Parts: sequence; C-alpha cells; structure tokens
Amino acid sequence: MSELFVALTPPNLVACFVGVVLGTLVGVLPGLGPAGAMALVLPVVVKLEPTAGLIMLAGIYYGAMYGGSTTSILVNVPGEAASVVTTIDGYRLARRGRAGAALAVAALASFVAGTFSVVALQLAAPLVARAALAFGPAEYFAFALLGVVLLATLAGGARVKALAMVAVGVLLSTVGMDPMGGTVRFTFDVAGAQAGLSFVAVTAGLFGVAEVLALTAAGDTATAAARVRFRELYPNREELRRSVPPMLRGTVLGFLVGLIPGPAATIASFVSYGVEKRVSRHRRELGTGAIEGVAGPEAANNAAAGGGMVPLLSLGLPFTPATAVLLSGMLLVSVTPGPFLLRDHPHVFWGVIGSFYVGNVMLLLLNLPLVGVFARVATIPPRWLMPGVLVLCAVAAFADNNNPFDVWVMVGAGLLGYAMRWLGYDPAPLVLGLVLGPLLERSLVQALTIARGQVSGLWSSPQAAVMLAAAVLALVAPGVLTLARRARPGAPHP
Amino acid sequence: MTRRDRWSAVGLALVATAYLVLGRAYPLDTLAALGPGAFPLAVGLVLLALAVWQFSAAGRAAPSGPSIAPPRSRAALVMACVLVVYAAVLPRLGFLLASSALVFVAARLMGLDGWWRPAALAVGVAVAARVLFVTWLGVPLP
Repeated sequence: MSELFVALTPPNLVACFVGVVLGTLVGVLPGLGPAGAMALVLPVVVKLEPTAGLIMLAGIYYGAMYGGSTTSILVNVPGEAASVVTTIDGYRLARRGRAGAALAVAALASFVAGTFSVVALQLAAPLVARAALAFGPAEYFAFALLGVVLLATLAGGARVKALAMVAVGVLLSTVGMDPMGGTVRFTFDVAGAQAGLSFVAVTAGLFGVAEVLALTAAGDTATAAARVRFRELYPNREELRRSVPPMLRGTVLGFLVGLIPGPAATIASFVSYGVEKRVSRHRRELGTGAIEGVAGPEAANNAAAGGGMVPLLSLGLPFTPATAVLLSGMLLVSVTPGPFLLRDHPHVFWGVIGSFYVGNVMLLLLNLPLVGVFARVATIPPRWLMPGVLVLCAVAAFADNNNPFDVWVMVGAGLLGYAMRWLGYDPAPLVLGLVLGPLLERSLVQALTIARGQVSGLWSSPQAAVMLAAAVLALVAPGVLTLARRARPGAPHP
Repeated sequence: MTRRDRWSAVGLALVATAYLVLGRAYPLDTLAALGPGAFPLAVGLVLLALAVWQFSAAGRAAPSGPSIAPPRSRAALVMACVLVVYAAVLPRLGFLLASSALVFVAARLMGLDGWWRPAALAVGVAVAARVLFVTWLGVPLP
C-alpha cells in the first residue's frame, strides 16, 4: 500500500498533469476520443519510466471523461459518447445563464465519482485478481466471449452489426504469427505483416484518420461557445443541495456498470439519467434544464471509467477501446496486467491507482478556473488542428514497431473507419475483437487440449458454465423477447 | 436496418468467403490439438452467419430514401488518395518532407485558404513533430 505514494514523485506528478490536461483537451474536442488520443501518445509513453507512462495514459482516459462535459454544456456538442446525455439538461441550463453552475456541478460530480471509484477499485481489483488466479483457459475463453457478446448487445444500434464488427476484429487478429504454433497466416508474403496488424496503427486509423476524413467530407464545422464569467462558476445552495443525491446514485451505479464488459461509461450515463427520471424529486424538470440531469450522468460516466479498470488490472482483459490502448501501453513497457500484476509490479499497480487520486484533484483544480479556456479550444477550426492529427497518427503507427508497413495499416484502417461511419458501424467492437482475438484463440486451443478434445471441457467448471450461459442468454434473449412481443394478441406485425 | 445494410452484409459475406478460402491453406488437425486453420475456420463461419443474419434483417426493412452523400465527399476521396501516396513515399522522402507535404495538402483540402498559412502550418507541424519524437524521444522515424 505504501506504493500508493509512488504517484507523488515529481516525474509521476508531471506525467499525471500532462495526461489529465491532454485528456481534458481530447474530451473537449469532439471526434478523436480518448482511445485515439491514447494511441497517439504511445511513442512518448514507451520512452518514459513504465509507471509514469501508464499514469499519463490513465490520465488521458479519465481526463477525457471530465473534459467531455464542457462542450456538452457550452456548445451542445458532446466531446465523447459518454457525455451525450449531459447535453440534454446541461445545454438548457447554459441557455438559461447557468452554464457556470452546470460546469461546476459536472466537475464536482466527476471528482466525487472519480474518488469513490478509486477507493472501490483499490478494494475490488486485488480481490478480483485473487479470484482470477483460479481461472484456467476455459474460464478466460468464457469471460472474453461473454465480454464481446455483452458489448455487442449493450452498445446500442443493430446488434448484428456490432457482432459482425467483433468478428471482423477477431478475423484481423489472425493475420501474422499464430499464437500457439508460430505458423504465419494471411500475410500474403508481406514481411512487415508477420508480427500481425499493429493494434496502435489500427486504432490511430479507425479513430484519428477516419475522423479527419469525416471532417474533410463535412466541411468546416467550428462552433461558437458560450462565454462563462468567473463569478458565474459557483452553483447556488439550492443547486448544490439538489445535486448531491443524483451524484451519489450515479457514482454507485456507474462503478457497478463499469465492472460489466461493454461501453460502460456511455451506458452508465444513460442508466443514471433513466434512474433520475424515475426517482428524482424533480424528475418532471428533467429535459428542461435540471441540475440533476448533469450531476447524475457525469458522476456515473466517471465512476464507470474507474470500474472499467478492474477487469483490466486484475484480469488483463480490456472491454473498452480506451482500456485496450492502456493494455497495449502496458505490454509495450513490459508490464503484463492480470492476476500477477500486483505481485510482479506492485509499484506500477499502486502507482497508477494512486495517480487517480492525484489526477482527480488536478482535474478539479484545472476544470473550475480554466473551463472557459477549454471551451474556447472547441471553437478552433478543424482545418488548423486535424492536419497535425494525421502526422501524429503516422508517428504513432510507425513508432509502434518501427515498421513502414504499419503506416499502410493505419491508412487502411482509416479508410475502413470512414466507410464504417458511412455504413453505420461502430468501430469499438472491431477494436475489441482485434485485442481479444489472440486471447480467444489461445484459451480455446489450450482448453480443448486440456480436455483432450472434449468440447464439454469448455463448460466443465461452474465459473465457465455460468459465463457461457450468460453469453448465450445475452445473445438469444433480445430475439426471444421480440418474438414474444409479436406473439402477444393485438401486437402489431411488421 | 436499411437497404444500405443489405449491401454491406453482401460485402461482409464476400470477406468471410475469401477468408475461408484462404484459410484452407492451414491445417485443422484434431480437436485435442487444434491446428492453425481451426480458429480462422470458426471465425470465418461466424462472420458468414452474421452476414446472412444482417442481410435477412435488412431485407425486412422498409426501403430507405436516397442516400445523402456528405457535402464534400470528393474532398474526402482526394484526402484518402493523399494518404495512400503518403504511405508510399514516406520511406523514400523521409518523415520531414513527406509529413510537410501531407499537412500542406490536408490543410488545403480542409479549407485553409491561401498558400502561406498552409505552408507555415505544414513546416511548423513537421518540424515540431521531428524535434519532439526524433530529437527528444529518440524515435527512429524514416
């Protein structure tokens, strides 16, 4: 536990500061998102001491959660998906002249939720890691499968399209050396492809390059931000009093949702808003500019970001694109997350967790006085920013393996990402399929080998059986419910 | 689901079929010792099944209206070609020159008017990136 103070060493404090500032800027700027930004700084991370590098990456992740609320409230443009709900009441509050109060409550809610989730993460991650020591290949296979199925089910939009993108991601993960026998597959004799498709290059392309292409197609879309005066920053007593219950509800709810595989921060914010619409004493005001509509979702999405770290740190399984990049960063600095992380790298484990405390304080201090500055960043026209993002994408892709082939992969992923946007496919399931593909293959092969070819070996342990049953249930339940609704007398037929 | 989803389902089915055909080059071996072709076979079949599911679901959807192309889709197409050229010339021209050209053309395509402003941005971004990544961090860029 004394390793918690590793976060307070000067290099780690600087890394944390740089991370949360970058994260806040990324959250403010619509489009790139935390995963893309984290991928772009990986060349910097590998040059730092491992703990400092990972603290910087984590800072970007939760800094973006903070920053995303700023443009939602001031410009009605969510910086990332988890802040979409905040626009509903936040922007209406801003139009009523309460932008400052909404921003301050969002920052406070994020701080409270972030701090709570750190405490809960500190307690939960070692427990989960200890339980995970009993996990064998069959359990890992079942958990990874459950994760991708839940992601596709909960992500919103057409489930079949999300599942197809998971499959495409897993398909792409089979390019290069087979993880068990070392056979080179699907490389078409391209030497640079033998190590597989670089995850960093694919992420930079899908998020960064595709965003630039989309902005090029859409034309210049700079927006005007509302001005916030410093004296307007403080919520009044009534607004503070009304914010506390939704903030606490959103915090607990968000952390629990964060533990579930899937786009947890986004789901948590929507669930929190739904809960407030049912239980809040001011539920009728929601949608017209109620402070509860800011406090609850903002607390929930920040707590979920903390909750999402539990499966990553304790099992080595990322279930969001951002935690997948964090996993990639860990592997780049030779730190393997999972049950043995706490034993093998306690300073990294506790240092990163300790940095969450420090980072939350930094974010609160930054967000309250500098909110107007961050809001103005959102008004910089993309034509000045985005050409530089292309160069950063290329550097990130190349520097991953010093391999020119990865720049081609980045360009290809960018074109694919742009086409996917046009066709209505979410890139997040593809990224997770790419990350979890090797784990799925390795654990499937190992589980079947241990079971001497008996397929029932995949569900012979209670844990694996429960997780596989949950995956099947998540897969078939929506279809069964739809059929049941159609079969009901008087139900409309399609 | 829209009719556009139907065409993308056909695309996914073609990808899955091509992948399955290419995957035949790798042995399947036995269930107790799966060969390098077994997992790709399973993934290809799953993708094919999902493509069929998506095709049938989109077939039940009402016909969508005419597709609305983004206002400047030609500019995006040119940008895509520029990126392909960038990937091709990066190892030959080197990072500084290739990236300066990329930023210049990208800024122009995104609507940055005139010549000196895109040029200044191009030189600024490329030099700053080179100083940060090559000089300070020692990243061996081409």
